Amino acid sequence: MTLNLCVLTPNRIIWDSEVKEIILSTNSGQIGVLPNHAPIATAVDIGLLRIRLNNDQWLTVALMGGFARIGNNEITILGNDAEISTDIDPQEAQQALEIAEANLSRAKGKRQAIEANLALRRARTRVEAVNVISY
Amino acid sequence: MAMAALRREGRRFLLSPVSYNTSGAARSAIPSDEFGSIGARSISTQVVRNRMKSVKNIQKITKAMKMVAASKLRAVQVRTENSRGFWQPFTALLGDTPSVDVKKNVIVSITSDKGLCGGINSQSVRVSKALYKLTSGPEKETKYVILGEKGKVQMVRDSKNSIEMNITEVQKNPLNYTQVSVLADDILKNVEYDALRIVYNKFHSVVSFIPTISTILSPEAVEKESEAGGKLGELDNYEIEGGETKAEVLQNLTEFQFSCVLFNAVLENGCSELGARMSAMDSSSRNAGEMLDRLTLTYNRTRQASITTELTEIISGASALTG
Repeated sequence: MTLNLCVLTPNRIIWDSEVKEIILSTNSGQIGVLPNHAPIATAVDIGLLRIRLNNDQWLTVALMGGFARIGNNEITILGNDAEISTDIDPQEAQQALEIAEANLSRAKGKRQAIEANLALRRARTRVEAVNVISY
Repeated sequence: MAMAALRREGRRFLLSPVSYNTSGAARSAIPSDEFGSIGARSISTQVVRNRMKSVKNIQKITKAMKMVAASKLRAVQVRTENSRGFWQPFTALLGDTPSVDVKKNVIVSITSDKGLCGGINSQSVRVSKALYKLTSGPEKETKYVILGEKGKVQMVRDSKNSIEMNITEVQKNPLNYTQVSVLADDILKNVEYDALRIVYNKFHSVVSFIPTISTILSPEAVEKESEAGGKLGELDNYEIEGGETKAEVLQNLTEFQFSCVLFNAVLENGCSELGARMSAMDSSSRNAGEMLDRLTLTYNRTRQASITTELTEIISGASALTG
């Protein structure tokens, strides 16, 4: 039995096919989902989504927050934005990370600090997605 | 609309002399003292020629507007279709219940900023007003949030007190989800609601735009409905992962749902606007072409009539001298 995974963002469908297992990060930690999981509705944090394909290879997707619904071996993940790690340019992600860090140190006021923090987390997620070791 | 007025003018021009108050460009070309009945000398070919020139210019402009709208439509249509899949999981989970009966309704009408796009804005406004009548009653409160200049102009005239917020110039920058989610946040902060109803024109094809209503319930309303059973009753089958309570997750979920549905609605309305503008400008160009044909006929007749009169005069003058 395999899981049917669907990852959607407002602009396009990122992923829509069968997988063996996924690991997604919620705001209380990472959860792994195998076939026949109990039905869950959860918020997804800004972090990595790891997908184990049918040929036992792992694929990484940088997910910028959203919602996940798991039920009946069907997983639907709605994200604000998502990028598959192979689509991310390592140089550009590293630069974005540095810019975000610079912005954070320059941020004044609570609101700017929060926004800079979010931007930093997003940039860091993208860099991690590129650098992750596949096993 | 300019083209309808010109069409009326054209017909009256051919039938009888009248005075009219229509768009300025055509009016200045025809001073009223030159008018007589058809066939009289007093219509000069100059006048008809000026008229033909202005109609031809209008035809060129409307043709160009149609092509601009067509090219923009192609780009937006792709994005709209991609965004359609996004709100479907929400409807699968929470259901779309337009018949839900709640105390506070907020009607979000999406209209365009620019005009010349056919009847879609009036359609949206009519549907919004009908919805308002349907959802008002004792103890119930209904408010409007209007996106777009055209809707604002039409609603301000008679429902000024019920308008909660006005948002214009949404389409100025190319639409993306971040901008719309900020907008959705804004709306949610400023209005109290039990149910949000978004009224927009759904884009089915280049010639068909159907006014549609999407309903989004607030977290409390979702709780109430889930007790009543039905689609929402199955919500309880889902465990909530993470350190949040069900109420928090529901609130998050409904906010997310609102911004997704709003994003899709704004894109669909944009597509409908471009499609409607394409067909409106297309019929304008065709009408201008017909008018041009009629004017050409009049021009030729006038020209031939004046030549004939001149010849007659010369010949009769000559024969008076000799005979």
